[in-house]
Amino acid sequence: MWDGIPLAILLSAVLADFAPQQAGSEPLTPALEGRVQKLGKQLRCAVCQGMSIADSPASMARAQLDKVRTLVSEGKSDEEIRSYFVERYGEWVLLQPQAHGINWLVWLGPLVLLLIGLGVIVRQVQKRPVSTAPPAERRSQSTRASSSEDEYLAKVRAELER
Amino acid sequence: MNWKLGVGLAAVACAALLVILAKGFGKDPHEVPFMLGGKPAPAFALEKLEGGGKVRLDQLRGHPVVINFWATWCGPCKIEHPVLDWGYRQYGSQAQFLGVVFEDTVESSKAYLRDHPTPFPQLVDPQSQTAVDYGVAGVPETYFVDAEGVIRGKYVGPLNPDLLSARIKDLVQPVAQAPR
Repeated sequence: MWDGIPLAILLSAVLADFAPQQAGSEPLTPALEGRVQKLGKQLRCAVCQGMSIADSPASMARAQLDKVRTLVSEGKSDEEIRSYFVERYGEWVLLQPQAHGINWLVWLGPLVLLLIGLGVIVRQVQKRPVSTAPPAERRSQSTRASSSEDEYLAKVRAELER
Repeated sequence: MNWKLGVGLAAVACAALLVILAKGFGKDPHEVPFMLGGKPAPAFALEKLEGGGKVRLDQLRGHPVVINFWATWCGPCKIEHPVLDWGYRQYGSQAQFLGVVFEDTVESSKAYLRDHPTPFPQLVDPQSQTAVDYGVAGVPETYFVDAEGVIRGKYVGPLNPDLLSARIKDLVQPVAQAPR
């Protein structure tokens, strides 16, 4: 059963030290705590893989969420709290990048690509040949066009039309 | 004419994509930027681990300060520990050394320091609020604060004697001569 587990992983799991889990600060009133959690969802945990500090179980994230709680209880606005974290951890800390400078690419890029795609579709639709011939004539035109491309297919169609 | 426009747009899009990728590939996506360089060090007043009152950063104005964030559960911190002891013995007259315990219990910190005593103060940071004020993203991290109370540098990971010497020499130089 244990053969597949490398000894190093087993040893590290047994012998490694872990940060002791510490209790977070006391939750605020429901309205303020709602703001804490909402802000926490917008801030990236410094030691995780793309998780917010509200979702991460890491002790670092708990410390950062406690700081959000402190700042909310001090009456700081959401913008002031985001600025506090950006001043210390850079824009990296924002899970949703701010819309300025090169960040516009992130916001407008998908929209531009969507518009280009729509443009391509519209062009293709407009390019489709419009035939005014009656259906029977169109079918024979189609048969003639196909027969020039593929003799065998023409024979099959002729058999079917007989 | 239309196909030329299409090719041109595709070329511009590819060039923009290449610039973004080149910029992104040059960076470690997990590296937390150092934002407080050249800015005033956040003030703190933290209790000493062994008792005997608080240490306030503003009381140390006029002296360069080396602030080391560490924890007993952090292997690299234990490797760094003797380097900081050595640094204090070499440069303790030129700079004030402070240790700040990060996300650890007082009991385990005291137990560790009984076996590995340090000659400089170790401080308790309740709920790591001072660490967050400094933008700490893991341990060990060491901040170098000049005599004016301005953060002149940060080092992430265990220091070695050469690095510590170089950083402290930079720290005690006048600001104009300090390397950026």
